[in-house]
Amino acid sequence: MASVADTLSPALPPQRRLRPAISPVAWLAGPALLLFVVFFVLPFGVMALLSLLSGNPVQNPNVYPTTRHYARFLGDELYYDALWATLRIGLITTFFSLLIGYPLAHWMARMKSRLGHALLLMAVIAPMLTGIVVRTFAWMTILQDKGVINTTLAALGLIDGPLPLMYNEFGTIVALVHIYVPFMVLTLTGVIGRIDERLEQAARNLGASRLRAFAEVTLPLSLPGILAGSLLVFALAISAYVTPFLMGGTNVLTLPMLIYQQVSASFNLGFAGALGVILLAVSLVVVIAYNHVLARFSGQEGLT
Amino acid sequence: MSTRGFDAGRAAYYTLNGAILVFLLAPIAIVAVFAVNPTPYISFPPVGVTLRWFDKFFATEDFMVSLWLSLRVAVVVLLLSMMIGGACALALVRGRLPGARILTAFFMSPLMLPAILTGLALFQVFQLAEVGRPVWGLIVGHTLVAVPYVLRTTLAVLANFDMRIEEAAASLGASQTRVFFEITLPLIRPGIIAGGIFAFIVSFDQFPISLFLVPPKGETLPVVLFNYMKFDLDGAIAAASMVSILLALSVVLLLERVIGLKAYVKL
Repeated sequence: MASVADTLSPALPPQRRLRPAISPVAWLAGPALLLFVVFFVLPFGVMALLSLLSGNPVQNPNVYPTTRHYARFLGDELYYDALWATLRIGLITTFFSLLIGYPLAHWMARMKSRLGHALLLMAVIAPMLTGIVVRTFAWMTILQDKGVINTTLAALGLIDGPLPLMYNEFGTIVALVHIYVPFMVLTLTGVIGRIDERLEQAARNLGASRLRAFAEVTLPLSLPGILAGSLLVFALAISAYVTPFLMGGTNVLTLPMLIYQQVSASFNLGFAGALGVILLAVSLVVVIAYNHVLARFSGQEGLT
Repeated sequence: MSTRGFDAGRAAYYTLNGAILVFLLAPIAIVAVFAVNPTPYISFPPVGVTLRWFDKFFATEDFMVSLWLSLRVAVVVLLLSMMIGGACALALVRGRLPGARILTAFFMSPLMLPAILTGLALFQVFQLAEVGRPVWGLIVGHTLVAVPYVLRTTLAVLANFDMRIEEAAASLGASQTRVFFEITLPLIRPGIIAGGIFAFIVSFDQFPISLFLVPPKGETLPVVLFNYMKFDLDGAIAAASMVSILLALSVVLLLERVIGLKAYVKL
């Protein structure tokens, strides 16, 4: 990598190569590094290792390396369906989060009044600070058979029986969108806020309608935000457990639900590990793409 | 923007955004309604106002034991993540570390990698090490996902930090220690505190990691609520939800006072 970079850009400023010595302040990263190595990197390593072993190596000295946990995943349609359901729910959630999050983010980014901006920001952050369990409960009270929507519609005489709004993918996705929209809004607001409003104004002065100026100027310029926000929401949505469990009932089975099932009911650490590695692999691809997008389009800010 | 009479485009824009705000906030308002609605099961429309669900919540031992555990864990996580995250932010900005950007991404990664996997991985390690499900394990798990928040807020403050203030102090004869305690620390304090408040909420609401790491009879409030909701949907859950929502709201107001919410726009 380094040699390629050197040959491609020989005009690299000299201070980039002559790095100043590491400062003693660097030691302050020690506790964080220790915590992350021992309780983050190592556990994920153990998870990967267990997924390739026939049993618990501490209790049973005769364990042998095996790929049977992965073979089991590949050999059974149930697991395949669960992976597909996880990705499908993630994709649909991401799509609607974007659809709902974009107008709000646009409004927030263009808001001139400081008070208005602060209030909007609070409206977006307050749901984020309400726990996932609580927000899922809220949606259960709204979407269940005797919930707010069904009883209201029945009282108005619009429906005869309750609509199937919950215990299916629909309910799961509605609640997930609600839970993850704030992440989309916050990511998009940052990007839209950095787009020079005068560009859109210029397009309009040249005769473009407001819609066209938006579609041809602002929207393309906010693509990095759209991409980053979508990747973030997708990464969060595919790892959701509470919401698919409570909103989906027995009709929805996702990878995180399978993983917990393996640990709590079957106590199969190896297979749970294999499922974990598969989910991790999907997430890692998404996370790396996310970091790449942000780093590429907004300079240093992608990582913070 | 233009100020011409009625404008259908603008009207649609604000209607749409109003509807989105309702979607965002109505569920929380509805929980408040159910928390005071006296019917034994969740039913709509509400028929009255009662505080019995709050009574039930505060009188149920399971809820109280878990609320108390959640609060204690959250306070420890707050302190730990402020110290670890604050120190780490300073090191990343000032340490002249090679690969500081990659390290930053690494320390932020618990926010993006599935928390349920962090829980699973820790659970597996604790199983292999045969330590069971200790409370310190729960605290470690929560701290992992809390440190990135402190890191983010502190890095945001450090990004706007004028290092010349420190240089001025040093050139006026202040020792390195004195510069740190009298200049650097007070200036980054708002970032660390704001991150700590976020850490508290993250820990208090944490579910997927707790799910794997709590022992039976030693569960945190979200896990107890989840288990309760599998079988029963009554006003006690709504009351419990209101308690945590009010806690979160007061924290938001506190945040706005301490540092201003703007620091969070960038995720």
